[in-house]
Amino acid sequence: MTKKIRRRDFLEKSAKIGLSAAFGWRLTSSFFPGSMPHDSEKEKVDIAVVTGSDYLKNTEKAIKILGGIDKFVPKNSSVAILPNTQGKHPGTYTKPEIVRAVIRMCREAGAKEINCLSWLSRKYWDATGLGKVVEEEGANLKIVARDESLFKTIAIPKGKTLKEAKVMRELFNNDVFIDMPITKDHAGNKFTGTMKNLMGLNFPKINRFFHSGDAEQPDDIEHLDQCIADLNKIIKPDLCVVDATELITTNGPFGPGKLVKPQKIVAGVDRVAIDAYCCTLWGMEGKDIIMIKRGYEHGLGEIDLNKVKIKEA
Amino acid sequence: MNSKAKNLVISATMFSSCLLFFSVCSQDSGGLQGGLSRYLPQSCEVGGWIRNDIPQEYKGEDLYLYINGGAEIYHEYGFKEIIEQDYINANGKSISLEIFEMENDEAAYGIYTFKRSSEGKRLALGNEGQIEDYYLNFWKGNFLVTLTGFDEEEETVEGLVMIAKSVDAKIESKGKIPSLLSLLADEGLMKLSIKYFKGNLGLYNSYRFFTKDVFGLRDGIKGSYKGGFEVFIFKYKDSKESHKRLQEASRSFRESPRYKNFRPVDEAFQVIDSNDRFIFIKSFQKYILVVLGARSRSAAKEILDSTQENISREKGDSPLRTLP
Repeated sequence: MTKKIRRRDFLEKSAKIGLSAAFGWRLTSSFFPGSMPHDSEKEKVDIAVVTGSDYLKNTEKAIKILGGIDKFVPKNSSVAILPNTQGKHPGTYTKPEIVRAVIRMCREAGAKEINCLSWLSRKYWDATGLGKVVEEEGANLKIVARDESLFKTIAIPKGKTLKEAKVMRELFNNDVFIDMPITKDHAGNKFTGTMKNLMGLNFPKINRFFHSGDAEQPDDIEHLDQCIADLNKIIKPDLCVVDATELITTNGPFGPGKLVKPQKIVAGVDRVAIDAYCCTLWGMEGKDIIMIKRGYEHGLGEIDLNKVKIKEA
Repeated sequence: MNSKAKNLVISATMFSSCLLFFSVCSQDSGGLQGGLSRYLPQSCEVGGWIRNDIPQEYKGEDLYLYINGGAEIYHEYGFKEIIEQDYINANGKSISLEIFEMENDEAAYGIYTFKRSSEGKRLALGNEGQIEDYYLNFWKGNFLVTLTGFDEEEETVEGLVMIAKSVDAKIESKGKIPSLLSLLADEGLMKLSIKYFKGNLGLYNSYRFFTKDVFGLRDGIKGSYKGGFEVFIFKYKDSKESHKRLQEASRSFRESPRYKNFRPVDEAFQVIDSNDRFIFIKSFQKYILVVLGARSRSAAKEILDSTQENISREKGDSPLRTLP
């Protein structure tokens, strides 16, 4: 009988024999044993999109369209959730009811522990109402101090610009990772979604390098987007649930800016495809966003929306 | 209750209210000790809106701690310091006030043009102010002031304006606008569309020419016109530099897959972008001039005639103009 290796056990073993750098790519699929290959479905859906004003119900519906939370969250697993709590202005942070829905569904699936991760202070969580939801739903809010020792250095063997990341150790205490960004404008590169949200796991000083560019070309936009794509090579969410309900299309990421209200919850596993879909909500295409293009070129997902199955409800 | 008792009750109520009023004000003023906090309205100054929690302040690179990657555009324009203060009222409404001290008037004007949209409503605040659905910006001297409500209701919008006026009254400096503004042709110019740039990030947010700083931009402006075209003016040290930059830019346009039909024309060149918009670019004295969206080269040249006349009439090299 084979023993199912939990991700944190794998990591400990790998660290001991120094395999983590050499087998970086394999780590991504081994990190999250919850993300077993999906059984062939009667209808395989890549992206679920649910439109409407009941965000809680629509989040549940979107995940059900993908096959239900059980596909992503095994019983007795620990789940890490990463919402965006960056700003308190309208259209800049993941709506509390969407996070509430995901926490509840994880609990229903039998998760033993649900952890919302952040290196932003409690103040940000309280200002957005997300802190209250985490408390009400009995999840854990894990605020990670900006102390380098709390972040694990991971080499990115195929990193073009970013050669290593420092990812919060807290993430690796979990079996499942659910990425929950809000999609919106960003003055740095015009778009943020599932891929950019992973910067919320990365040590802030390294993130500063993303934005500052290299010595020859500070503020090089392409530098930022390549760093994001490189980061995504070593972290793969089991599930992405995107807030595309009410978002800013100017003055991102912090706002205030022009608000559009597509009222959509977008869910799936393919980050590139999801981001390519989300940017169309305010008139762009995936090929226009360097980060999405790079993600596709690095084999992280599909950029052509004609090649993915999108189910809208 | 007899009239004597009634009077006693009224007096007691008024006395309590005054005590509360002065209590709130004195608590506020304990925190107002100079720096940017001297511009924060006290709770008793903005009719029913009281300060909630202590203000946050960030200087220089620490802006990144406040707004992460959103800090880069402020640094590009020239950022010094910010103070942020929340206000609440008795109905549970909330307003966030941010006062950005920028390096100079140009920086404040520039970041103001970056943040305001072409759809807002002008307000008589500062040197210029504008209100959008739920937020408000104005600039004055080297300050940009942003107020954000959390809904679009009348009570909130009135609160935005009230607090903004109070801040306006506290900022004494007047401010000057970049002289580049006077070079944009007036006819057909949609004034709310004007954007002032201090670098490529600001430019990229207006039109995605290139991810790299191909133009070496440090001083530029854009205006949109009713004819459906846009004019960009980039200023350099002298004509030698503008010419050099034009040569470098033309190489980038020629080699980029995003642009097609590159054609050099005298001291200029033209291309078509990926949305089939015609772009004409030339150097003129110490400027590079760009027309985006003209029907043809001759149309672009005609559009630039007024701008070139304005440049030729330009006296001296003062970067700033005093506001009327």
